[in-house]
Amino acid sequence: MTDEVRTERQPHEPAGPAPAIDVRGLRYAYGDRVAVDGIEFTVAPGEVLGFLGPNGAGKSTTIKVITGQLIPSGGEVRVLGMDVVKRRSEVQARIGVCFEEKNLYTALSGEENLRFFARLFGIRNPDVAGLLRRVGLQERGRDRVANYSKGMRQRLMMARALINDPQVLVLDEPSDGLDPTSARTIRDLIRERAEAGTAVLLTTHDMWEADELAHRVAFLHQGRVYAEGPPEELKLRHGRRAVRIRTRRDGQIHEETVPLDEEGASQRLARSMDDGELLTVHTEEATLESVFVQMTGTGLQ
Amino acid sequence: MTRLGAVSAIVRKDLTEFVRDRLWMVLTPLALVLFAVVFWLLPAEEDATVVVGVTPGALATALDLAARAGGGDPQAEGLRLVPFESEAALIDAIDQRRRVETGDDGREQVVQVGLAFPSDFLGAVLLGRETTVRVYVDASVPPELRGAMAGAVREAAYAATGSPPPVTPPDADAAVLGVDRAAQPVPLRERMRPLLAFFVLLTESLALASLLASEVASKTLSAVLATPTRVSDVIAAKGFVGTTLAFGQAVVLLLVTQAFAFGANPLPLLAAVALGALLMAGVALLTGAAGGDFMTTLFLGVALMIPLTVPAFALLFPGSDSLWVRLLPSYGIVQAMVGAGTHGHGFGVLAGHLATGAAWAATVFAAGGFVLARKARTA
Repeated sequence: MTDEVRTERQPHEPAGPAPAIDVRGLRYAYGDRVAVDGIEFTVAPGEVLGFLGPNGAGKSTTIKVITGQLIPSGGEVRVLGMDVVKRRSEVQARIGVCFEEKNLYTALSGEENLRFFARLFGIRNPDVAGLLRRVGLQERGRDRVANYSKGMRQRLMMARALINDPQVLVLDEPSDGLDPTSARTIRDLIRERAEAGTAVLLTTHDMWEADELAHRVAFLHQGRVYAEGPPEELKLRHGRRAVRIRTRRDGQIHEETVPLDEEGASQRLARSMDDGELLTVHTEEATLESVFVQMTGTGLQ
Repeated sequence: MTRLGAVSAIVRKDLTEFVRDRLWMVLTPLALVLFAVVFWLLPAEEDATVVVGVTPGALATALDLAARAGGGDPQAEGLRLVPFESEAALIDAIDQRRRVETGDDGREQVVQVGLAFPSDFLGAVLLGRETTVRVYVDASVPPELRGAMAGAVREAAYAATGSPPPVTPPDADAAVLGVDRAAQPVPLRERMRPLLAFFVLLTESLALASLLASEVASKTLSAVLATPTRVSDVIAAKGFVGTTLAFGQAVVLLLVTQAFAFGANPLPLLAAVALGALLMAGVALLTGAAGGDFMTTLFLGVALMIPLTVPAFALLFPGSDSLWVRLLPSYGIVQAMVGAGTHGHGFGVLAGHLATGAAWAATVFAAGGFVLARKARTA
């Protein structure tokens, strides 16, 4: 099962000689406070990298450096083979960013927002109608964003991130607090773009979302990458697997948890299941969050 | 993507946001109308004549004749002598601020000063007896005029007796530096015009600052700077929008108040207004970027605007432009506005004021751009 999942989530295009995002020894400090401390990771074209970490871990700073908004204190960041400091404009022209804040112009309509950003990218005839249709806002494109719901705003943010048909997508909490329908639209779009060859850097607090979308995840804590790899592999490597068995014996209900990673687990499991009337069997698998907590000693929220 | 394209996109977006902002779309025309109304309600003429009531009435004619015999012309020097029948009537006129006919032209004016001579004044001074002349003054009369009136009474005594003063007074030849506006003072309305124009610039500056603050607070600026757009493009666009809006509004006010008529020099006046608009756009960048929210921006804006309006206020109170007022960024601009608008001076005369104004406008705008750039990096 694990292998099947991993196979399904292989990047659409295998990583070539030049990763779409290549971060090496990145360091950034706000005065004396080090926000990012020598992190390294890559994202291949068509790959979704889940960037996980609690608030203040350095995710936003890393995103700002990758998107050319901050100049790193040290290290090197290349996007599509280009140095983000030396060729910032060229890099920015090929990146789509979806911010955590709903930073849209609320006095403008959805269409006007998209057309404005298209002009900033130098795009003369953007497919505004197509993008609005893709995020389900075709009927509300001419309404002012001030009248949009949170979910509609987030979908418009996603459309804005795609206005320049980017080769790299940087998404900061794209489905945070959304209703299930809007969240599904966003996830479908992310999958769609990855399948089309876009490299996606996704930060999220939602472990289920990261598990669902990301080919690989990187755990960021206190400005450092603690672990990196496919979600299943991380869970298998660092997580705790167990089976919880509930039986009735002599009129009493008994519950036993059998760790699967210990020696003799199969025999102990068989013995427990035969011991009385079997009521329920639950498997316990590690979650990304539990792995994160185990590795860093802190939660993700 | 050309930088001009980015700047023009931001300008179009900002103008759209501005016209859709109900607050500023109400405040902008309202401010214009209000300032224009204030201007037209102010008196169009400045009456600098000092009206002096004299009792007994016969002495008024005698003093007037004596002054003319001495080669003077009281009316040309801004002095009108009005006879009163009694001291009680004179006191009542001054105290109640009654308007009385002051000359052959039928003008009615308020009597500000009264000279009540005793009935035996001439006899007393001729015989060398001590006598007292009561000088009544309205509360609004400045102290120096009260002193001048006491001096005038002594002069009247010498004139009446034909005796010279104890010493031979030297001739004093007054030389007026600058425009001699004796008997033709600048009306209050004209003096208020630069102040009103500055208030219009201030209103527009607050509008730009508020738009910018909301852009910083909502982090739309971060979204713009994640595209190939540079901070300098944003500063250029905001500066253009702010300067154009403020300049346009101020010019409308100047047109409505007929600032370009009656001997004004339009080009230097427009140049001064443009510099004022640039200065205010710089202030807007500073306050909008530093403020972060509407109330803080408003507070910072007003805090900076108060000193900037001081040079315009100083025009209302001649002689109040002390050194620190002259050092304020708006001083040169206000002086250029007055020089071109009221006195019709050209670029040659106003070069110093315009250069100082331009230097300050550029400095404040650069400071605003610097603060915005820093904010963009840290937001």
